[in-house]
Amino acid sequence: MSGKSKAFTKEEELLLQDFSRNVSTKSSALFYGNAFIVSAIPIWLFWRIHLIDIYANLISFVLVTLASTYALALAYKNTKFVLKHKIAVKREDAVTKEMSRKLAEDKKMSKKEKDERILWKKNEVADYEATTFSIFYNNALFLALVIVSSFYILKTFTPAVNYIFSVGATSALLALLSTGSQ
Amino acid sequence: MNRLIIFSILICGISEIFAETCQKPEVIASAYVTEDATILTNVAFTTQFVLKCSNGVKGITLYAEVDGKSLPAARLSSDNKYQVSWTEDVKKARSGDYNIKLYDDERYAAIRKALRNGEDPNSVKPLVVVVLNNPGIYRGPWINSELLAVLLAALVSYSAFSSKFKLLA
Repeated sequence: MSGKSKAFTKEEELLLQDFSRNVSTKSSALFYGNAFIVSAIPIWLFWRIHLIDIYANLISFVLVTLASTYALALAYKNTKFVLKHKIAVKREDAVTKEMSRKLAEDKKMSKKEKDERILWKKNEVADYEATTFSIFYNNALFLALVIVSSFYILKTFTPAVNYIFSVGATSALLALLSTGSQ
Repeated sequence: MNRLIIFSILICGISEIFAETCQKPEVIASAYVTEDATILTNVAFTTQFVLKCSNGVKGITLYAEVDGKSLPAARLSSDNKYQVSWTEDVKKARSGDYNIKLYDDERYAAIRKALRNGEDPNSVKPLVVVVLNNPGIYRGPWINSELLAVLLAALVSYSAFSSKFKLLA
């Protein structure tokens, strides 16, 4: 490296983006939208089943839902990051095979460009699969834990306290667990 | 002397009329059992019946006995309508037929005498037996809804876990 720092080229930027924890705006919107819906679902459970007074507890509903949305989105993001590379490795052969067959007809295309396209496709496949799986995984765990904690662990508490702790603790736990590397 | 005999026969006759026993008793009964044990601690059994005697006896006192428990049979009206009711703990109540044995004064006294003398009270035949059927009380579903929800959620979580481990393997 020479003394002065050089700005990244466009390709380097793209490569960095592929391997970074940051997600694209589209993916982020998907995560936050999903996290919001899933965080809001327990409100129904507490309103209709645990018979909580929805107007008296409006503030806690809003605050807990927002906090849980943030925590869940974080969990989605982290889980996706961990999964993406593993998935990319797993799907590599299949994607390469399919893309090579598709691109074989195009004689004009250089070897480099073909490789780039394969790499790009591989990234896209892994990204998509990691995103959807991360949402499924975290939602399943979140809802299961909320049901268990609200019906069994925090059963003796009043519904208002039960709500705050079961939803708050569950989303916090998922966010914490997602920071692990496995 | 002769008069005394006639008098005593008359007295006996009168008392015979008052303590007349029911001949060929027949009952028409209806019953009700509180079956919903989800909100109850005790199950109530109640039966109402009309006693018909071939000799037209009315207004006799009846005593009931169910599973060794003696109960009064309340007379509801002068046309031989009676009611017997009792409660049982939800845990002890069994399903199936309950035999309500009904005794009149005479037989009830015989039972008490048998009990006093340490004899088998079952040797005294009841006047009539009313059968009350308990179809079985409802204690709620086998699996309550929250347990079912937990089981289903656990199933989905299990599939999520297993596929994650498969991906990470």
